[in-house]
Amino acid sequence: MPKILGIDLGTTFSAMAVVEAGQPKIIENKEGGRTTPSVVTLAKNLERLVGITARRQQITNPQNTIFSIKRLMGRRYSDPEIQRDKKLLPYQIKESSDGGVEVKMGDKWYKPPEISAMILQKLKIDAEEKLGEKIDEAIVTCPAYFDDSQRKATKVAGEIAGFKVGRVINEPTAAALAYGLTKKGEKKIVVYDFGGGTFDISILDAGPDTVEVKATGGDTHLGGDDFDQRVMDWIVGEFKKEQGIDLSKDPLALQRIKEAAERAKIELSTTLETEINLPFITSDAAGPKHLYYKLGRAKLEDLVSDYISKSIELVKQTLKEAKLNPKDVEEIVLVGGQTRMPKIQEEIKNLFAKEPCKEINPDEVVAIGAAIQAGILQGEVKEVLLLDVTPLSLGIETLGGVDTVLIPKNTTIPTGKTQIFSTAADNQPSVEIHVLQGERPMAADNKTLGRFMLNGIPPSPRGIPQIEVTFDIDANGILNVTAKDKATSKAQSIRIEGSIGISKEEIEKMKKEAELHAAQDQKKQELIEAKNLADNLIYTTEKTLRETGDKISPDSKKEIEEKIEALKKVKDSDNIEEIKNKTSELSLAIQKIGAELYKTPGEKKEEGPQAEEGEYKEKK
Amino acid sequence: MTPDLKKKLEDCQKKKDEYLAGWQRARADFLNYKKEEMERIKEILKYGNENLISKILPILDNFEKAEKEIPDDKKNDKLLEGILQIKTQFQDFLKNQGIEEIKTTGEKFDPNFQEVVEEVEAKDKESGTIIEETQKGYTIHGKVVRPAKVKISK
Repeated sequence: MPKILGIDLGTTFSAMAVVEAGQPKIIENKEGGRTTPSVVTLAKNLERLVGITARRQQITNPQNTIFSIKRLMGRRYSDPEIQRDKKLLPYQIKESSDGGVEVKMGDKWYKPPEISAMILQKLKIDAEEKLGEKIDEAIVTCPAYFDDSQRKATKVAGEIAGFKVGRVINEPTAAALAYGLTKKGEKKIVVYDFGGGTFDISILDAGPDTVEVKATGGDTHLGGDDFDQRVMDWIVGEFKKEQGIDLSKDPLALQRIKEAAERAKIELSTTLETEINLPFITSDAAGPKHLYYKLGRAKLEDLVSDYISKSIELVKQTLKEAKLNPKDVEEIVLVGGQTRMPKIQEEIKNLFAKEPCKEINPDEVVAIGAAIQAGILQGEVKEVLLLDVTPLSLGIETLGGVDTVLIPKNTTIPTGKTQIFSTAADNQPSVEIHVLQGERPMAADNKTLGRFMLNGIPPSPRGIPQIEVTFDIDANGILNVTAKDKATSKAQSIRIEGSIGISKEEIEKMKKEAELHAAQDQKKQELIEAKNLADNLIYTTEKTLRETGDKISPDSKKEIEEKIEALKKVKDSDNIEEIKNKTSELSLAIQKIGAELYKTPGEKKEEGPQAEEGEYKEKK
Repeated sequence: MTPDLKKKLEDCQKKKDEYLAGWQRARADFLNYKKEEMERIKEILKYGNENLISKILPILDNFEKAEKEIPDDKKNDKLLEGILQIKTQFQDFLKNQGIEEIKTTGEKFDPNFQEVVEEVEAKDKESGTIIEETQKGYTIHGKVVRPAKVKISK
């Protein structure tokens, strides 16, 4: 079946994805990038460049390098947005004969869809090369506030590029699709899209049959680039204060600072502090000058706090327009790289009192949604095949109160897993299967989903019986746990509903608790393992002494018995070091038995005939 | 059989065929995916270091900046010589990883490998020739890790 491409045609960056084997996948461009800058140029040698190669020569060719063409798509020249953008864009813009807009590249005038088509064409060619097949159809996304003429312009751009554009879908709708939010029932969704150059808010009423846009808002000139600028300004300001030099006048220094600022901003989304280290940033009569500052997350948040507040204010305004309160909103979706910033996520969480959807890469989520839409239209992604995952790990309680996981979290369902367990004590007649859900290593800290017993296990030494435990989850999230004794084929099972119907809040809470207690839990787990090991060693040693005691020298036997006693004394304490020490002492002592057992009495080395020294005489 | 039952049976058979075909296709997709995954893993192993290397390069850049600043009268200083030897160690290490420098000065500008930071007047040079390199660029096994930053003639 020919593939349909899902394309996010963005203001600063574009991305594309396709559904392969039922799963959406981002396709890299020829240069290996998962996103492509939305930049087109006619180079000095009259070669047309699109994407990163166009950006790389932008400085030499500002009038012929067309970027942010999306701002001009489908608009009339008289539009105040156009008049405003005209002042900011370095390439020429004029009114076309029908009142629309045209841009100059080289010595020709182009309509915006023709420029967008060049971007789409590059994506088409790169995708065809990566996938090894021709692509004739695409789904292209556009902002929710695009009017009919803007949507038509987007469709036309696709057609010029050689695609049949099945549909132009809204970016926020694509994002909602990517998270599977349209599968069940009607939901009120807010999409918060903070990209490189624009900020868009959309409020959707989404269900399995339709997605309605209730309201849109935002700021077409607010984006992550503005955040970078603030960090840059701070760096330049600090340097001026300390060294009296204004680096903004030095283009090469400024370029280094710009890159360092963006890197620092990005790092502070995952660390609390970062360094801006730029030695030899400039020099004066006294010699070279170096720049080194530490930037903390709190300071960064301070530098951009007004931008963030503005974005939240705009969200509130848009909600008012849709006649909704924050608590009426059931889902929030984050789109755009800037939403990776913890402060932004926090503000959104505070406003809506719930966690936003943010697991999918925010730079790619719209393209992924477009691909899913393409898949649905093709029938490649049947609604029934949109599968869930288990949000939390599922397991059973084992020796020492440990939770042994059978199905880890984020496993796609339906699925099944079987593992063999055994008894903990000699002649144990039954086992209790305690089904657990959660991320903590200890059973007591996780949620009990159910319990049952399997009886009638024939008397055997511990560790010998084979109890087969199977976890099976169907597509509806119903969990069936079965325990079967392989010797008798006796089995018992339990059916648990709603194992995946757990709220996002509860999931986040459990995951956070697991993180918080990770170090403690790790220690507890190690202690339990040490105790189990000690127990096991005592058991097997005592068994060996019983069976082969007469073959071991009484001295060795005494030593081992002493070591067993010493270990028994400490194994119930919580002193993991002591337990480990006594365990290895016993272990060493036992190795002696092994050595002795292999040297059975009566087998002494006999003296063989000695080789005699003699002369070699040739026989004549 | 009543017509109603007959229709139900037909529908069921149709669904059965559809589901069986879907199941077979899913199995085939899975097996194909495994094959493609092996290819992907090969790619990752080849270019896996790319990200790490691109983060390390600024350190080498700074070494080179430092080197440029050494005044002529200090060029024979033994301490500096030692430090520059460390820089050479760094460069040799990168070479061994398959990292190569992108040729610049004197070459014609190629946006596949270089990025322009400034255009300068250069009467005796053809337009679009690289006059100066402000930051080195590198490739790993032929793939651009970071483009070189250059000044070209107008």
